[in-house]
Amino acid sequence: MASFEFELTRNITIGQYLPTGSLIHRLDPRIKLLAFTILVIAMAICHTYVGNFIALAFACYLFYISRIPISYGLSGVKPAIPFILVLAVLQLLFYSEIASGGTVFVDYGFILITSDSIRLVIVSALRFIEIIFLSSVLTLSTSTTQITHGIESLLDPLKHVKFPVHEFALIITIAIRFVPTFAMEMEKMMKAQASRGAEFGTGAWWRIIQRTKDVFPIIIPLFNVAMARAEDLVLAMEARCYTPGSERSIYAKYKAKSTDYAALLFCILFAVLLLAFPFPY
Amino acid sequence: MSDNPILEVKNLQHIYMEKTPLEHQALTGVSLRVYDGECIAIIGHTGSGKSTLIQHFNGLMRPQRGEVIVDGHHLSDPKLDIKGLRRKVGLVFQNPEDQIFEKLIGDDIAYGPLKMGLPLKEVRDRVEWAMELVGLSFNELKDRVTYALSGGQKRKVALAGVLALKPKILVLDEPTAGLDPRSRQELLDNIVQLNKKENMTVIFVSHNMEEVAYLAERIYVLADGRNLIEGTPRDIFGNNETLAKHHIGAPQTVEILTKLKEQGYDVNLKSYEIEAATKEIVSVLQSYRR
Ligand SMILES: Nc1ncnc2c1ncn2[C@@H]1O[C@H](COP(=O)(O)OP(=O)(O)O)[C@@H](O)[C@H]1O
Ligand SMILES: [Mg+2]
Repeated sequence: MASFEFELTRNITIGQYLPTGSLIHRLDPRIKLLAFTILVIAMAICHTYVGNFIALAFACYLFYISRIPISYGLSGVKPAIPFILVLAVLQLLFYSEIASGGTVFVDYGFILITSDSIRLVIVSALRFIEIIFLSSVLTLSTSTTQITHGIESLLDPLKHVKFPVHEFALIITIAIRFVPTFAMEMEKMMKAQASRGAEFGTGAWWRIIQRTKDVFPIIIPLFNVAMARAEDLVLAMEARCYTPGSERSIYAKYKAKSTDYAALLFCILFAVLLLAFPFPY
Repeated sequence: MSDNPILEVKNLQHIYMEKTPLEHQALTGVSLRVYDGECIAIIGHTGSGKSTLIQHFNGLMRPQRGEVIVDGHHLSDPKLDIKGLRRKVGLVFQNPEDQIFEKLIGDDIAYGPLKMGLPLKEVRDRVEWAMELVGLSFNELKDRVTYALSGGQKRKVALAGVLALKPKILVLDEPTAGLDPRSRQELLDNIVQLNKKENMTVIFVSHNMEEVAYLAERIYVLADGRNLIEGTPRDIFGNNETLAKHHIGAPQTVEILTKLKEQGYDVNLKSYEIEAATKEIVSVLQSYRR
């Protein structure tokens, strides 16, 4: 048993801002969000081995220039591994109709494994990792205030169709902001219940009901704590005269510089390359 | 009091988030010894590592460097019976009322004993025993809902939930923080009773020096992750130089006596207990009358 058995916060990279003052940190948040969206779309569409390995290398390179240790990205991937594995198995077994092209390796009953379905599995796993890396770089290099302002000003045109842009941005900020807080609360709760004899994740996996019951002592108090926190937040906001729907000015004014445009252009070119270049594999 | 300590910590160190950019050394070298039946206070400023230290006592954290030995068992031993250890050392977290999750008080207190796999009769006896110990009537309250309780009562329920494990050592992190004066006093009396009548070894963290003076037989002072000094309340509160040097607060009785001494009255600073301090003040008044 590792000595950090209960160190939940160790694996949570979302909502943690790591100020290193790098080039990426200094980019305009709107540009960063836009570039992020473009890259994620390109990665989600790109379906070649080579393309995805290049994209993964690119994501690692982003860690390098933002001076954030790559171990941060890896610890974000770790909790997703079971999910990636289950997805891989499901795709291998049930997606054969969609990806039935290429060489046939196994054709046994309903199981049909082809070079195309294997590609689908590997490429999906790579995509997953790329996108986790990319989101980690984004949230680790951008403070939540910046993210909110970015989202708010990017979505600004939607105001014309009565979309509650400001409220939407606020909800996202609060959600991101409280991820580490709840991880801390959950860590404390797990420790407190373990002190009373609770065990987590030790029962056999097929005893689903038992294992579900095991999490009640954490989930229920956590829910209470979340309610209490929400109430505190409402009080704090009202005490500072927050009025929903009223006109608000922004303290930070963003003005994109030439580096911002250069970075955006670079990301667009990279996305075009990923999508348009005829990679051999 | 036996010769061998029931709990011993030797040069314990702990680093949070080791090998990440957020790494932080919370314990830089703590050593302490607690003997069977003692009542020990751990004091120190916020962030000095008190909570980190006590989480080592029941194996929630394992020693990264240094040793923790509880009742002869080394915590670094990978084959350690961790469930057994958590039964032996009952840990009550800060604001423990947050951890209540059952609808009925009795059910919540029974959680620990049920997890131990005890027969129902025994569980029931333990719940009754624990509730009565903290001054909650078993018959009246066991079937009441938990969310309708006052803050002080909730904390007692949480304490009873740990007591129901019948620990040999009871560890409490700031047990009275945020309680109203009456609940505070009741809780302190519960702790005294557990220590004296039930012979539980008690280790508690506190910022309240009156409380420390009232309960503790010995005090450990923590600062920056290491223990500075250790001694009886008399040694520590009676020594103005140590108090000033390490920025330790003192009970109000000590402060009054210090002020009197500064004014030139002949008082004994070691008389920190209320009765003793009263005697000192009375003697000052009498000398004044004469
Ligand atoms: N889960 C954690 N992750 C990282 N650092 C922590 C964690 N818990 C506590 N710390 C840090 O360790 C130091 C000691 O904390 P703690 O043991 O809670 O002190 P105390 O209980 O004396 O106030 C503090 O500086 C705190 O910020
Ligand atoms: Mg603490």
